[in-house]
Amino acid sequence: MSAINKTSIVLVLIVAAMLPTIWPNPYYIHLMVVIAIYAILLLGLDIVVGYVGEVSLGHAALFGIGAYTAGVLNFQLGLPFLLAIPASIAVTGLFGILLALPALRVNGPYLAMVTLAFGTIIQILINEMTFLTNGPMGLSVRKPIWLGHQVTGTDYYYIVLVALVATIYVVQRILKSHLGRAFEALHDSPIASDCMGVSVYGYKVYAFVLSAGIAGLAGSLYTYSEEYISPNTYNFELTILFLLAVIMGGRKTRTGPVLGAIIVVMLPNVLSDIELFKVISIGIAVISVVYSLYMLVTHQRSLNQVAIPVIATVVLATSGFFMENITDHRLTIFGVMILFVVYYLPNGIMGFLRNLVLKFKPHWIQRHVLILEHGDKNHVWSVPDHPVTTNGHLLEARNIVMQFGGLKALSEVNLNIAKGTVHGLIGPNGSGKSTTMNVLTGIYKPTSGEIEFNGKIITGASPSKIAGEGIARTFQNVQLFGEMTAIENVLVGLHHTFKHSLIDVVFQTPRCRKEKHTAEVRAASLLQFVGLEALANEEARNLPYGKQRLLEIARALALNPSLLLLDEPAAGLTAPDIKDLIEMIEKIRGHGITVILIEHHMDVVMSICDRVTVLDFGQKISEGTPAQVQSDEKVIEAYLGGSAKEA
Amino acid sequence: MLQIENLNAAYGKVEVLHNISLSVPKGKVVTLIGSNGAGKTTTMRAVSGMIQPTSGKISLNGKAITGLPSNKIARSGLAHSPEGRRVFATLSVTDNLLLGAFPRLTFGREKGDVPGDLARIFELFPRLKERAEQQAGTLSGGEQQMLAMGRALMLNPDVLLLDEPSMGLAPLLVKEVFRIISELKGRGITMLLVEQFAAAALEVADYGYVLENGRISVHGPAGQLKNDPAVKAAYLGAAH
Amino acid sequence: MEILAQLIVSGIALGMIYALIAFGYQLTFATSGTLNFGQGEALMLGALVGLTLVGHMSYWLMLPLVLVFGALQGIFVERVGVLPAIKTKSEFGWIMTTISLAIIFKNVAENVWGHDDITFPSPLPTAPIQFLGIRVLPMEILVVVGALAIMLAVEMFNRKSIYGKAVVATSNDRDAAGLMGINTGMVITFSYALSSMTAAFAGVLIAPLTLTGSTMGVVLGLKAFSVAIIGGLNSGMGVIVGGLILGIVETTTGYYVSTGYKDVPGLVLLLLVLAIKPSGLFGKSVIKKV
Repeated sequence: MSAINKTSIVLVLIVAAMLPTIWPNPYYIHLMVVIAIYAILLLGLDIVVGYVGEVSLGHAALFGIGAYTAGVLNFQLGLPFLLAIPASIAVTGLFGILLALPALRVNGPYLAMVTLAFGTIIQILINEMTFLTNGPMGLSVRKPIWLGHQVTGTDYYYIVLVALVATIYVVQRILKSHLGRAFEALHDSPIASDCMGVSVYGYKVYAFVLSAGIAGLAGSLYTYSEEYISPNTYNFELTILFLLAVIMGGRKTRTGPVLGAIIVVMLPNVLSDIELFKVISIGIAVISVVYSLYMLVTHQRSLNQVAIPVIATVVLATSGFFMENITDHRLTIFGVMILFVVYYLPNGIMGFLRNLVLKFKPHWIQRHVLILEHGDKNHVWSVPDHPVTTNGHLLEARNIVMQFGGLKALSEVNLNIAKGTVHGLIGPNGSGKSTTMNVLTGIYKPTSGEIEFNGKIITGASPSKIAGEGIARTFQNVQLFGEMTAIENVLVGLHHTFKHSLIDVVFQTPRCRKEKHTAEVRAASLLQFVGLEALANEEARNLPYGKQRLLEIARALALNPSLLLLDEPAAGLTAPDIKDLIEMIEKIRGHGITVILIEHHMDVVMSICDRVTVLDFGQKISEGTPAQVQSDEKVIEAYLGGSAKEA
Repeated sequence: MLQIENLNAAYGKVEVLHNISLSVPKGKVVTLIGSNGAGKTTTMRAVSGMIQPTSGKISLNGKAITGLPSNKIARSGLAHSPEGRRVFATLSVTDNLLLGAFPRLTFGREKGDVPGDLARIFELFPRLKERAEQQAGTLSGGEQQMLAMGRALMLNPDVLLLDEPSMGLAPLLVKEVFRIISELKGRGITMLLVEQFAAAALEVADYGYVLENGRISVHGPAGQLKNDPAVKAAYLGAAH
Repeated sequence: MEILAQLIVSGIALGMIYALIAFGYQLTFATSGTLNFGQGEALMLGALVGLTLVGHMSYWLMLPLVLVFGALQGIFVERVGVLPAIKTKSEFGWIMTTISLAIIFKNVAENVWGHDDITFPSPLPTAPIQFLGIRVLPMEILVVVGALAIMLAVEMFNRKSIYGKAVVATSNDRDAAGLMGINTGMVITFSYALSSMTAAFAGVLIAPLTLTGSTMGVVLGLKAFSVAIIGGLNSGMGVIVGGLILGIVETTTGYYVSTGYKDVPGLVLLLLVLAIKPSGLFGKSVIKKV
């Protein structure tokens, strides 16, 4: 962290600590407490919305569960503040698990709908379970008394401030650790993530539960701040406010949630005062007109592009003069704001500012933490987590059938891969090679048949499980984590080497630091092995196609596989690159890693494969040494199609 | 009939096609050959509007169609039988074929004799007639390929794009597909053909273009390309 | 036993309404992979517009007008909320925009029609018909018949007309449908029009049985989502069965447990189905090609 950053953080903290002396008015202090509490919740919500890319409409309900857990425990059992808070976090986390486990099983808008339904149900339950919650009457709770001192509003501000700073610290630590990297990876390319042993489902649930726990913390703090809780607070409107705050402040930042919290807490105050609303809406309209004119004059936008936001903001400003009572139109204004933010400020205010800075002072902002470890030859290879125990065949696929509707992509394919060999898999386009890859790595569940790997049956296991057993792969259509740097991509592959827990991450224990360092050295070494050491801190999507393929190999090797599946590694490589690739594959085999190679460049196949299997029309038509296969009539026919004789 | 000038296309930031120029004269069969990932399918997709070219000019019958959405290009008379067949799995074979004639049944193309054409397609592909009421998703790969070709023909297109019609088919069916392509050629249908079996494609085509890393490296009359040593190496490199 | 039969009969009418709204979810999901989170609000607007119109004309004359209104409302939602998000392929985008449109509609309805629930005059006699000791409201019969009729009409359209086939083709494979000369953008807009139209229709069907107001849509829209998931987002039969299951479970829960809890089984069923068979009871799980 740079010195400027450190100083500014200290300054902000000092200002925050002095605020109650600047504005001693209890009303303002209470507003600041609510802002801090919302900010805590939003930091958690951002993990789900910003990093994992799922929409949660249940965070108001989770907030409510946190509030009620603290309230009920205190009211019914007299549990003290310091015990009620962790209890709230735990209970809300449990509810998070309950929701996330089913809702995240399938991709799609399920989480949004399930959490929306959950919000409704929680309100009903709080209302109905009178014996616990006192129903619609609500619960009264007092702020704690510590050492004979009744905690006042101002004291409570400092308590919440400490909680906020701690939350920012913890969330920052998590997101910068291998966990945060996993969240970003699964959002970037779910399929590659699964094949690197980072279970998309597992980490989505993890993220949601973390987020729920933080919502629980915010909720319990809220109970003690308000000293009275009732079911109607935790409604749909609050959920919408939270989402508005996260996207308006700026996703994937720590400052965004704080800014968002300030906006949404102040918003109802603005909206209750029509005169203030007029001033602000006219201000926004003027800014939007001026900005649009600037964009028009400099030809950065067309008239069509600026028309809608300008009209919308002007309408908003004029509407102020026709409304007598603005509170009635509050939700419409929220709705319009969300539409506006989604379309015109997709990265929120912080994102907008960041883009401005990037335009004028690009070196001020570093999108990625630079990892400057140097790799060496000694750290390229590592012993697999699952040592190879079988003799002879490392992998046996028996009678694999893969059916898509009426199409049999694979019919009764048998494949025996001998340990320590490079096994070629060739055939014309559409003959079932990539389908075989996808079946072996668990992306497709075969219609029938059995796969035994290293003495274990792996048919039907999930891709991340199979990756964990020691099968790594590359993809025909490159599947890198585009927004991550090259070395971060490899670090995702090394995810399995991070054995330390959330606690280690939060407290940066020696174990955590050691594992991190080891992984970074290893990642740098792997990049060196594939010849990408100079591009370690370059975003993967900016690499040329051929280099992207090499990066995929480095990432796959990071998994310490005993079997490596390469899907057309030579596609897009130039002739000298192909030579290097052949050398590389030979080195990989030299280190005891078995390789299955799909390739169209016959010279590659013929020069390094020990055995070759030929697929055609979903069936195995030939198998043997490269020479045998090459002279097989059936193979020639398959490759040259109908005109084999003439050609 | 179909004219492509300096076509460039990209997937995201990665440029895939560089200054492709080619022309398909009326009544001729032109083939585009090259190794995997050379950009053959991308060229087809850019022509039929499935992706937006970054620059260049495409014209059909003298009318510019560059950058139009695929449905408008289809209405202007270009049919595309895409890679991987892409039949409508839950619809019947007959419905798939009728949808091929969608612009004729609604607006944009001369109606002509749709039932008659349907009968003629069934004549050309007797297997499809046997399965007329079956859901397309339950057909075998070869049958789906016939359906995709038949569906494209139902447009009465000015130009027909055929992308890898032999992909994933057993050798016997590959022969059948090429027999049908020659038959269509005999009927005077203008075609742009992408094929991995370069030899067979050059056999049936009048003219050929060789695509290498997104650029056209060689082009010439099919007979001449067949005997060009460089071309032989290029496709035999993939087939030996 | 008689009580149970009575509860089942009431559950059927309720279930058909859920099925009808869920059917609307399926329509847009099939063509574009998106859902309108404001489906319940489309229903509510249909019911309230119907209520205003009924003041000036008969119920039967009002029906086609409400259908037209529903279609227009759907087109608006698609153009403003969904189309830009589909272009940028942002799931987050369409979820957020359809939600914000939903809260805007609800708020506008509150300001136009007020906060209170209003009774909707019933077009049919309100006296129940006795049938084997079970009382059935004529309106309940209309609900079942009407819901089935409109679902059947849409299904017939999809099967018989070339435009309907174009809709099915778009839901099968949007790119390939474009190659056939089908304007898939229009098809998606059309599916939103149809979807909101069925919701508006459901609104005027159920309104005489319940109260009409700006908040009536929220819970109905949510439960219909449960029904769509329980039945399967791609199964027409599924929503009817799912709707009936939920309708009957709710009326029985309301009677045997407590009316306060009658909204709970929907979520519990939803979570159970997602946990056990995420593609729904009748849904086909689709293998995505990589």
